[in-house]
Amino acid sequence: MATLKEKLIAPVAEEEAVIPNNKITVVGVGQVGMACAISILGKSLADKLALVDVLEDKLKGEMMDLQHGSLFLQTPKIVANKDYSVTAGVHQQEGESHLNLIIKYSPDCIIIVVSNPMDILTYVTWKLSGLPKHRVIGSGCNLDSARFRYFMAEKFGIHLSSCHGWIWGEHGDSSVAVWSGVNVAGVSLQELNPEMGTDNNSENWKEVHKMVVESAYEVIKLKGYTNWAIGLSVADLIESMLKNLSRIHPVSTIVKGMYGIENEVFLSFPCILNARGLISVINQKLKDDEVAQLKKSADTLWDIQKGLKDL
Amino acid sequence: MSTVKEKLIENLIEEDKISQRKITIVGTGAVGMACAICILLKDLADELALVDVAVDKLKGEMMDLQHGSLFFNTSKITSGKDYSVSANSKLVIVTAGARQQEGESRLALVQRNVNIMKSIIPAIVQHSPDCKMLIVSNPVDILTYVVWKLSGLPATRVFGSGCNLDSARFRYLIGEKLGVHPTSCHGWIIGEHGDSSVPLWSGVNVAGVALKTLDPKLGTDADKDQWKNIHKQVVESAYEIIKLKGYTSWAIGLSVTDLVGSVLKNLRRVHPVSTMVKGLYGIKEEIFLSIPCVLGQNGVSDIVKVNLNSDEEALFKKSADTLWNVQKELVF
Repeated sequence: MATLKEKLIAPVAEEEAVIPNNKITVVGVGQVGMACAISILGKSLADKLALVDVLEDKLKGEMMDLQHGSLFLQTPKIVANKDYSVTAGVHQQEGESHLNLIIKYSPDCIIIVVSNPMDILTYVTWKLSGLPKHRVIGSGCNLDSARFRYFMAEKFGIHLSSCHGWIWGEHGDSSVAVWSGVNVAGVSLQELNPEMGTDNNSENWKEVHKMVVESAYEVIKLKGYTNWAIGLSVADLIESMLKNLSRIHPVSTIVKGMYGIENEVFLSFPCILNARGLISVINQKLKDDEVAQLKKSADTLWDIQKGLKDL
Repeated sequence: MSTVKEKLIENLIEEDKISQRKITIVGTGAVGMACAICILLKDLADELALVDVAVDKLKGEMMDLQHGSLFFNTSKITSGKDYSVSANSKLVIVTAGARQQEGESRLALVQRNVNIMKSIIPAIVQHSPDCKMLIVSNPVDILTYVVWKLSGLPATRVFGSGCNLDSARFRYLIGEKLGVHPTSCHGWIIGEHGDSSVPLWSGVNVAGVALKTLDPKLGTDADKDQWKNIHKQVVESAYEIIKLKGYTSWAIGLSVTDLVGSVLKNLRRVHPVSTMVKGLYGIKEEIFLSIPCVLGQNGVSDIVKVNLNSDEEALFKKSADTLWNVQKELVF
């Protein structure tokens, strides 16, 4: 007896599994992971979204909640599993690390590291995964720069997409605001005010950078965590890659050999992102104190990294 | 000494600070914030205001959204405990309210929510007398009635999210069963948002082909394919997700955003939302239940007159009676 489906639908092509073109996996369904997920779904970036976490109930609940919104989305497959079989179909072997499994099931993938301390964990991920360096990217200063531009825009009363400013280096307390590049419509603000970014500056633009550094702490103090801004900024990076845009973002990449840095450390520089991953880094002549700051960050990171075992 | 701004920018005219598409969300819990992020992702507002009593959480949420401004197109995000921040809203979304405590009767919960709404609604209307109000807090049908009463607004401008989400879940599950995207599967759930919602099996169709013509037993207990289970799954969805992750947020956020789109863009699309149904289907009391409504810039401008069979009409009337029994005991 034919099912209703068989009565309704006459097949034309043979039934076959379709391999997704744009599959994204989000590992970790906490606040940040789910903010990434909803931003990815809201921007219709993927045709398949997979969620992975160790907490099975929470994971299933989040997957179902997203699936129930399918009418309003254009991501036809949303799946979840606690083991990486959601990416392929084989179960976790005893003793295999999570990272080994990611690589095993998606050998051609690009990994974006968001977890903190971001620059160190990007290094760790790169080391453990064995992936080439253009396919392991830290979310880095993409969000710091977005925050900087937000504060800049508030100061000028114009939209932040027209305010340009880059934050480089270590994501966090010792990031570097590259004042020479800060501009609106190509007009360098430092040329209008040579004291910009220094302690002498009467308008105290240095405070803008300080606000960026302190933003996360402030939001955490108020609501317990941050998620929306980081989720949106990660979706922004993904968009550049999945749509092969070759846009430039300040993200964390290996910087050995640049600016006199000798060790394998990851810091944020403006990088070109496209479908192959992080394909190039933009060079810029930095001031001596900016180079010194980058070197200092690199040394601090290396001090921690060299003590890590089992990499 | 001129500032960098003065050196950089020459001002020509005074900035017009009045927003044209302002939305206020009351309540910054999981549901309110899911509505917020989905609205931002869809570029529906030029200003978004958040209101809550928990001032730190409120400020933190506002800042977190503001910091993401580079990635969306809503240039003004504000917040405050005071409703003056909501002034001039085109649409106000109410997600605030108490959650049911263990062992608490529905009537007691509703009465607690009436008291909460008393502190919210008059202030909203005072600051945005021309707004539309979209109620999400549960039990949504009763609370939409409460809000309507407290607001003094015409019933066309106060509606509840109602069965918009139930119908979305219904279409998702039908889609999964048939291997078809939910947007190509049509099915309506109306009535009370919750346990006694009414699935309209006769209307369930794909490409205009009514599934009931392919299987007349569709939706009945005699149906071997057990399509009736799909409605059961819809009713139980929320409970299941709450059991797994503690609350639901994403699906309701997306479905509310869908409604917001129709109102702010004056689309006049039809959605199953909770509206005043006195005078329909033999209902004599001022009850709010979900029926297919035309949504546009003035709120609910028209309703679609669905032919209900005798079972469906009986279920509908039964919901109305249950709701009225609770509503008539409320103290305003």
